[in-house]
Amino acid sequence: MTRHKRRRDPVGAACRVAALAVLSGFLVFTAYLGFAASRGVGIDFLRGASSVAVDGTGMGPALAGTLWLLLLTAVLALPIGIGTAIYLEEYAPRTRVTAVIESVAANLAGVPSVIYGIVGLALFVRALGMGPTILAGGCTLAVLALPGVIVTSRTAIRRVPEGLRLAAYGLGATRWQVVRNQILPAAGSGIVAGCCAAFTRTAGAAAPLLVLGTATYMSFAPQTPAHPLTSLPTQIFTWATRSQEEFAALAAGAAIMLLLLLLIMNLISALVVRRLSGAAR
Amino acid sequence: MSSPAAPTDAPVLTAERLSVRFGRRVALRDISLAIPRGRIVSIIGPSGCGKTTLLRCFNRMNELASGARTSGTVHFAGMDLYGPDIDPVEVRRRIGMVFQQTTPFPKSVFDNIAFGPRASGFTGDLQGLVEEVLTSVGLWSEVADDLDTPALELSAGQKQRLCIARTLALKPDVLLLDEPTSALDPEATARIESIIRALSPRYTIVIATYNRWQAARLSDLTAFLDRGELLEYGLTETLFTNPREARTESYLTGRTQ
Repeated sequence: MTRHKRRRDPVGAACRVAALAVLSGFLVFTAYLGFAASRGVGIDFLRGASSVAVDGTGMGPALAGTLWLLLLTAVLALPIGIGTAIYLEEYAPRTRVTAVIESVAANLAGVPSVIYGIVGLALFVRALGMGPTILAGGCTLAVLALPGVIVTSRTAIRRVPEGLRLAAYGLGATRWQVVRNQILPAAGSGIVAGCCAAFTRTAGAAAPLLVLGTATYMSFAPQTPAHPLTSLPTQIFTWATRSQEEFAALAAGAAIMLLLLLLIMNLISALVVRRLSGAAR
Repeated sequence: MSSPAAPTDAPVLTAERLSVRFGRRVALRDISLAIPRGRIVSIIGPSGCGKTTLLRCFNRMNELASGARTSGTVHFAGMDLYGPDIDPVEVRRRIGMVFQQTTPFPKSVFDNIAFGPRASGFTGDLQGLVEEVLTSVGLWSEVADDLDTPALELSAGQKQRLCIARTLALKPDVLLLDEPTSALDPEATARIESIIRALSPRYTIVIATYNRWQAARLSDLTAFLDRGELLEYGLTETLFTNPREARTESYLTGRTQ
């Protein structure tokens, strides 16, 4: 038995090496960020306002900006995206129009995020007169997140066994009752997991927001979506491009914060996924 | 088995010149037949002959598949099921269906039974209804202690009985059973068959089956479908002992042509 286990397995060994490499790379990366941040970041940094001066500057506004952006993205992209997915999978007749919508959504998911910035600048900032605000940023990021939300939600809905659908229709359920009571519960965990992936992409996006025009320094945390646009990724970018070494430490500190935020989001999504798939059984 | 009936006895469902296409493929061609009230009618034929499609014509399930087109008429209790004012949802509440795949919802036993009644806005005694239909499929004694048991934890035979009970909870006039025992072992099959017998003549039952012996055991009337056409329809005994068509005979005897 042990002999059998010890048999050579070059593919398995290679996979193990690759996994270890990724893990250690990640650890080294985090350690590096932590080390860089430790040289210039105090506790005030978390809450403090950002300023041109290195001393006393903080990422409070940027963090608040990112939280605002996430909230707006969720409020805008989730209902529209999941609604579109449900429509395409459960309601729409298979026509050329739906085929076009499907392929557009699938292709948009691969468009570089900076392009969305250009669209957002033309549409939200200028045409709709929002200016470079949190609201314009949120709308742009929502558009950025939409294709991902649609594609992953559709995949999750499509994985629901056809038998469940038929059984529910066969029992005289209306289309909405089938969607509400069978499709969404069965597809829920897949939808949440997919949406989380799409959100991770938007939460870390700096390029589209830089195109919209972000506040480099803000002395206060944004209180409403009408306040100037600021976010962690763009703040990291701003600090990282400064020549003084102290700013590099700030960038590293903000990067750790961003990573933490994404980690928390993923943890929450994992918990929700677990709960939903448990409930579906 | 109940006493034989001629196909012309007071029909509850009548198909006339019924054809179904999926895209370009013709699944059913020009089918006319009448299902008499309170009888068990079997639809038999080789796989792909259109049994399931015919069954689904009776509760308008085919239209859920893309590209399905139905022509001809199906009358149910005097109304044209494909008429412009007919709501397919309402049709499916009165003509219940049990599918080939046993597909309990991933919910409790209770919620499985309650799904149909709740969907149609049932306001009566749900608890009593659940007990009644579970009793009629012989499942009550097995699950009464814990109706919260997840339905997916039941055995295959229990699942299919649950699916039948779930359909009965709608109080339908007609039961359409699509290969209800094809995934079951002989014991569970026998159980289901005895339930089907017990449900007749309270319900009119139409059963599609690839198992000709099941048709012979259960049904008053049998229809033989081949390549989308209704070749022969009549009393089960006559069809099995003295088939009119050569193709029916070769199918029944298992000889290839």
